[in-house]
Amino acid sequence: MLFRAIILGFVIITFLSGCAVIGRNKDFRPFDEQVLTQVKPGQTTAAEVTKMFGPPSQIVKLANGNAYVYDRTLSKATGVWLVLVTFANYDIQHDRMVFFINKNDVVTHYGSSFKTDTAAYGTPF
Amino acid sequence: MGRRSKRHLGAMILLVASLVLGGCLSLRIDKVTDGAEVKPLPREFAVGKTTLAEILASYGAPSDIVEMKGHFALHYQRSFYRGGQLSFSVPLSDVLKTSPKLDATGNLLRYDAAVFILTPDGILSEMTYENGIARPLWNTYWK
Repeated sequence: MLFRAIILGFVIITFLSGCAVIGRNKDFRPFDEQVLTQVKPGQTTAAEVTKMFGPPSQIVKLANGNAYVYDRTLSKATGVWLVLVTFANYDIQHDRMVFFINKNDVVTHYGSSFKTDTAAYGTPF
Repeated sequence: MGRRSKRHLGAMILLVASLVLGGCLSLRIDKVTDGAEVKPLPREFAVGKTTLAEILASYGAPSDIVEMKGHFALHYQRSFYRGGQLSFSVPLSDVLKTSPKLDATGNLLRYDAAVFILTPDGILSEMTYENGIARPLWNTYWK
């Protein structure tokens, strides 16, 4: 009985030996979603946008002006490395803001999505 | 050999096999989700009527903005990656200077995407939606 338990213990330890990893990666840009309420289409200028949110991640040139894009990312990773099997799960979510700016450098439209707080640790199943 | 001895021998073989094969056989499963859910096209959206402001209010900031020689496109996307690898190798390099190895890998990247093409004045001129993540994993991979 003891021998059987020892063998079973060795088998379990052998198969379950390994490691688990929990990771969190952040591509941070210091823009504040609360400040977004200060943006007024038709009034706020491009200079005010950059003053409020800093330099954009990307500027897209459009026929009637430009679009300023702000993007930051949070990814959460979960991994388990065992002797025979490896599982890994990554969830990547973004906070994004976009401002459409006309040829007079005034914001005409803006949109936002704040989803980084939904990034989650999990299994790959 | 008694019944008990046979059991012990079987257990020892299992243990040795698990120790030896531990370095030879492996299975890897990966899942990567990038982006939030992309909603299907709302029924009230209509080409020639819906405006840029309405799209931004409904979908938020797009993943990408593309200039199209006057027109421009808002691209909303979520990607979903599934990967798997089964490896079998025999580590004999110290003995034979070679190590046979067999890998079977499979990767599938699916997308949910909505694209809105707008006129320079911000009026919707074309829209399309694909719910690729809902497609079945196995059948989509082998299709």
